[in-house]
Amino acid sequence: MALLALAVLVVLAVAAPFVQRAAPRRAGAILAAPILLLAAGFLAELPAVAGGTFASSSWPWIPDLGIAFALRVDGLALLFAILVCTVGPFSILHAGESLAGHPRLGRFQSTLLCFMAAMLGLVVADDLILLFAFWELTSFTSFLLIGFDRERADARRAALQALLVTGGGGLALLAGLLLLAIAAGTGSGPVFSVQGLLESEALREPAAWPLVGPAIVLVLAGCFAKSAMVPLHFWLPNAMEAPTPVSALLHSSTMVKAGVYLAARLSPALGGIALWDNLLLGFGAVTMLGAAFAASRHSQLKKILAYTTVSSLGLLMLLLGLGAAKAAAAYLLAHALFKGCLFYCAGILTEETHVKYAEKLSGLARLMPMTAVAAILGALSMAGAFPLFGFSGKELALKAELAAGSFGLPLVIATVVTAIFTVLAAVLAGIKPFVGAPPRLDEPSAESHADDRAAGPRDPAWPRLLGPLVLAGAGLVAGLAPGLFAKPMVMSTAASIAGSAVPESPLSALGLLWPPTLATALSIAALVLGIVLFALRGAWRRATDPIAAASAFGPDRRWNAALDGLMATGRLVATLLRGPTLTGAVRGALIAIVAIIGLAAWRAGPRPDLKEAAEGTTLLDGAVVAVLVISAIAAPMVGSRMGTIAVLGGAGAALAAVFLLYGAPDLSMTTIAVETLVVVIASLVAAQLPRIKTISGAAARIRDLGIAASFGLLVGWLALSVAGRSELKPVSDEHVLRSVPEAYGRNVVNVILVDFRALDTLGEIFVLGAAAVGVTAMLGTARRRGATP
Amino acid sequence: MTAMLPILVPLLAAALALALPGDRAPRLVLLATALFLPLVALLVMVRVHESGAIVVHVGGWAAPFGIAIVADRFASIMVMLAAIVGAATVLFSSGEAPDPRTDRARSTLILALLAAAAGAFLAGDLFNLYVWFELLLVSSFGLAVLEGRGNQLAGGIVYVVLSLLSSTLFLVGAGLCYGAVGTLNLADLGVRLAELGNPRLATVLASPLLIAFAIKAAVVPFVAWLPAAYPPLSSAIGALFAGLLTKVGVYAIIRTSTIAFVQEPEVIGFAILTAAGATMALGVLAAVSQAEIRRILSFHIASQIGYMLMGTGLALVIVATTPSESVRAELATIALGGAILYILHHIIVKTNLFLVAGLIERRRGTTELKALGGLAQSDPAIAAIFLISALSLAGLPVFSGFWAKLVLVRAGLDAGAWIVTGIALATGLLTLLSMMKIWVEAFWREPVAAAPPPREPGPGWRPMLAASGALAAIALAIGLGARPAWWLARGAAEDMLARDAAAARVLEGGPETPTGERREPRAPDPEEPRR
Amino acid sequence: MTLLLACSIAILFAIGGYLLMRRSIVRVVFGLVLLSHGANLLIFTSANLVPLRPPIARAGAPAPEPPFADPLPSALILTAIVIGFGVLSFTLVLVRRAARELRVDDVEELCSERPR
Repeated sequence: MALLALAVLVVLAVAAPFVQRAAPRRAGAILAAPILLLAAGFLAELPAVAGGTFASSSWPWIPDLGIAFALRVDGLALLFAILVCTVGPFSILHAGESLAGHPRLGRFQSTLLCFMAAMLGLVVADDLILLFAFWELTSFTSFLLIGFDRERADARRAALQALLVTGGGGLALLAGLLLLAIAAGTGSGPVFSVQGLLESEALREPAAWPLVGPAIVLVLAGCFAKSAMVPLHFWLPNAMEAPTPVSALLHSSTMVKAGVYLAARLSPALGGIALWDNLLLGFGAVTMLGAAFAASRHSQLKKILAYTTVSSLGLLMLLLGLGAAKAAAAYLLAHALFKGCLFYCAGILTEETHVKYAEKLSGLARLMPMTAVAAILGALSMAGAFPLFGFSGKELALKAELAAGSFGLPLVIATVVTAIFTVLAAVLAGIKPFVGAPPRLDEPSAESHADDRAAGPRDPAWPRLLGPLVLAGAGLVAGLAPGLFAKPMVMSTAASIAGSAVPESPLSALGLLWPPTLATALSIAALVLGIVLFALRGAWRRATDPIAAASAFGPDRRWNAALDGLMATGRLVATLLRGPTLTGAVRGALIAIVAIIGLAAWRAGPRPDLKEAAEGTTLLDGAVVAVLVISAIAAPMVGSRMGTIAVLGGAGAALAAVFLLYGAPDLSMTTIAVETLVVVIASLVAAQLPRIKTISGAAARIRDLGIAASFGLLVGWLALSVAGRSELKPVSDEHVLRSVPEAYGRNVVNVILVDFRALDTLGEIFVLGAAAVGVTAMLGTARRRGATP
Repeated sequence: MTAMLPILVPLLAAALALALPGDRAPRLVLLATALFLPLVALLVMVRVHESGAIVVHVGGWAAPFGIAIVADRFASIMVMLAAIVGAATVLFSSGEAPDPRTDRARSTLILALLAAAAGAFLAGDLFNLYVWFELLLVSSFGLAVLEGRGNQLAGGIVYVVLSLLSSTLFLVGAGLCYGAVGTLNLADLGVRLAELGNPRLATVLASPLLIAFAIKAAVVPFVAWLPAAYPPLSSAIGALFAGLLTKVGVYAIIRTSTIAFVQEPEVIGFAILTAAGATMALGVLAAVSQAEIRRILSFHIASQIGYMLMGTGLALVIVATTPSESVRAELATIALGGAILYILHHIIVKTNLFLVAGLIERRRGTTELKALGGLAQSDPAIAAIFLISALSLAGLPVFSGFWAKLVLVRAGLDAGAWIVTGIALATGLLTLLSMMKIWVEAFWREPVAAAPPPREPGPGWRPMLAASGALAAIALAIGLGARPAWWLARGAAEDMLARDAAAARVLEGGPETPTGERREPRAPDPEEPRR
Repeated sequence: MTLLLACSIAILFAIGGYLLMRRSIVRVVFGLVLLSHGANLLIFTSANLVPLRPPIARAGAPAPEPPFADPLPSALILTAIVIGFGVLSFTLVLVRRAARELRVDDVEELCSERPR
């Protein structure tokens, strides 16, 4: 089933642009229908999965590395699979309407389908590498989706920001997963199978801690980046630049839940380890509270929803840290239902009224009754009102926290405060626009413009309405009669999170309301206080202005500065690497050369035998070497081009003499010949060469002299201590022995060149040829360029 | 003899291209040879994988006193890659308008460059390697300044001077090696350095050579020539250089440090790892800040050389420090295999990105990001090719670069090399940033108001697009079918790490020529004075 | 003699390296010449020096009579000299061309990033 679903999504993704072109009006429905069938298929698997039977399949991928294309559908995976395959098609339907006529709609649908495939693959993958691959694919496809309105700089910035934050988290995650795999393998190669990892005993061994400790930090860094935990949360509100279908799918039920998913997935293996639990608790609590506070101060529809989403993600992480599997599973489902619904409704509101701010909307219930029903049900569920499923979720969460003992108390307080803010946000975003005085349509606000669609706001056609209505209805059904689908989903998901079946307990709203407990009382109190806060929201915002200003959710503001800083550093490094000029580059290279070879030589400490080296020196030797040395030293001192060429010629001649003196007449003759040629060529071009000038200052020259002197000394020292002291017979002995009998040549040097090492000579001829070709070409182009200025 | 073909065929073709009359002849010879070379390389590769490494004792003279040409699995892969890069860039350049002034020189030099690269990959002898390096340099010098634009000349001078410094160090190293142990054959060097019994001295001998290779490979702090010389090049030549030149240096580092200088793997490995970390980090930082596509890509080359070195250094350190023998062999193979897989993927992808820059330039007349925009709309084909290559480069799953990065990171973590692994991961993120910067600026953003309208691609567009598309297809195939690519890389790494077997193959498999026995007659007369 | 030659090598490399760091482009080229001389001399010194006995067998003899100079370094240097000659000629022409085209002789101006 999972593989089939993946295949269907990929095929649809490929087909989407063509379908869009062929049937522009019905494309959305055509693309959405098969996915809804997939959702039905997954739902059909629910009883089996709830009964503990999991479908799994595996194909070898890179067996040498132990990587497999393995899929497995347990309760947790199934929950997400169903969400992807129900919310996904709603988004496609919505886009088909709201983006109708957009030239890139086909590509948009295709990308959306790719994202769905990636998200589905992520949750059903049973191999860490496969999981990671899908993880990164969700990041990248969401980059493309957020940046869909690519003409707008804000959209481009938000897309890049989301990609970098989640991508950076992805890299930490990769390292963390690899460490876990290595630790679970205990020396016999990493375990990449997720199931194998969860069953591994090795992770809890003290010996594995040096790997598991860092692994936990790295894995959670990845999860936190993806699920927008403070301080990595800032990309998510910015990502609201995306069109509505993207926000509803990615930023409520799927993409941002990937971090929660992975933390839940790994809970059986890592839950109970103090570091794991505490990180989840700490970051979860701070995020939950902080984001809810931010949401209470916003009035832009999508931003309110974004911040409450961040807050809910925090609550989910917190619950995972508590080990409250059932509460986490229930809230996960509840949140997906009501937040998806509200994102669609917010999208419809903005599309119909062209107003983004909740405060400017009111009384729309009469104009768009269906939307109002969906939005109000969604908002009530979000506020945790009886009898919607959001109520069940919040009840279970509070109960779990109350059961957590001494440190549960601060969590309970935080959750209740969060709940108050959430009620405010829910009422503002989901209820307020529909009640009260009807909008004064005769006075269009600054934001609304009277295009031809604006015959006034009204309920959209079914493709856009279906999603919010179904999700809102599901929230209501789940609260009233959880046995229909919510209970098996929650119980099997909780079993996956806990690693074993969890005990039965009431899940319906009624079952949780009665008999009342402390949790119920707190929940109702939060609801009431939230409504009071809603009424006083103007005063609340004024009162909290200083706090907001002080804590002004910083990372986003610093984002640009950080990027600029990165660029500035980069430019500096680029200059550094470039040299910044030839002189600098050569100087740097020489310093590095001296340092590296010098270090190696210092370690080895070769000691040349000076006495032996000085042996056999004749007066003639001395004279020849003197000419060589004097020529070399004179070279930088001579100020004219011809003078320098003459000096170099002298050095060449002295070199030839050395060769002649020590048994290499061929070499000597070649040197003379080549040096003569060089002098001739150099003299010919000398007049056209630039004049020699002394440009560097004295200090630079002294510094360079120091570098150069150490370079020279080092090479000379090495030559003295290494060269010619071999105790091993050189290979040339063979050359000498074989030269006459086998190669028929008496001059061994010549035989080596044309026979033993003929390949060198062949290469050498081609080097000369290539140099000649280069020279000719350069002279040729120069001449013709000169002719046609 | 099969193993010599990748060298001899282009050499012969270079001579032909130079000598044949007619203005179009050089271009035709070049195109035919370049498209034929992958077949030659395939032949070598198949032979090597079927029946093990091929050792050719050139002229029938046994190593170590004769020159050995060694085609093992690593060398055969590299020869294949060189041939693919050659074919793609030459096909691409066949779409460019002919220029009678430079065509002959250009064709000759490209062929000489391809021969030299193959020679460098196949050389089993230090001095022979030097000769191929020089041929590579001289032909690339010529190509770099052929068109004679000002910034090409200026960049060319930086390139020439630093390359010649590298050549000097190469000679110094070769001389010192011969002085110390009396041999030049790489395998024999390894054997004799072991006999010498002075590991630290062996490292001293290695240092000038490794630095010489590092200069060619553009390793920090020797990168200066690369950002100076590459960006001004014409698209096809730039792509050819980007794919091949630095990798020859990396190859030489891997080759020599696994067969010749094996006395102190932990020291050399640590040095290589240090350089790898610095190169990765600084290269990518510099790349991120650039605003012109070829400059960005040029700095990325350096940064990615770091990944290849990372695998190499890790393998050496693992060989030296892992106690358990079975774990050591496996882990070292994975590390070195990762480096080789990275080279494999990088050569294809980097060449292609330079070609994409060429395509963009052809359409818009510039590669400055601030003057570009809207390419996703106007040229979806270029956008698709760019995206595939860019994501491969950034190592996003399941593109080709991901597997190489995955294997390297896994080896790094397993070996406990936290710092360099962390740098490798962070470098991946910054690479993604800079690739997406190109994407956002050049492809997504609306074109700037002042930008000239896209030019008609004109004749020759099709072969250009075909060359680039083919490379993108190969990159995609490496990514999706990671299994064969990893099988190749792993096999190559196994060959490299089985040093004793490798040495025995070169030194013992040679023709037995007892002194005094007559061999087949030779053409040249050694008595004749040379030149 | 080895000592003297080692000193010469040191001086050739030192002066060569110094010239390589000059800003006058011609001096850089001359630095390359000296470095190449130094490298050749180093290879020559790497074998045992044997005065005035080239490795040439007398007619009829199966091999040269020892002692004789090691033939391999000579062969290597011959190759290196020829290669070096090719490279140097190319470099000279390149520098001349660059100097005419860009009308500067200061390396730092030559290679700074000015749009041309």
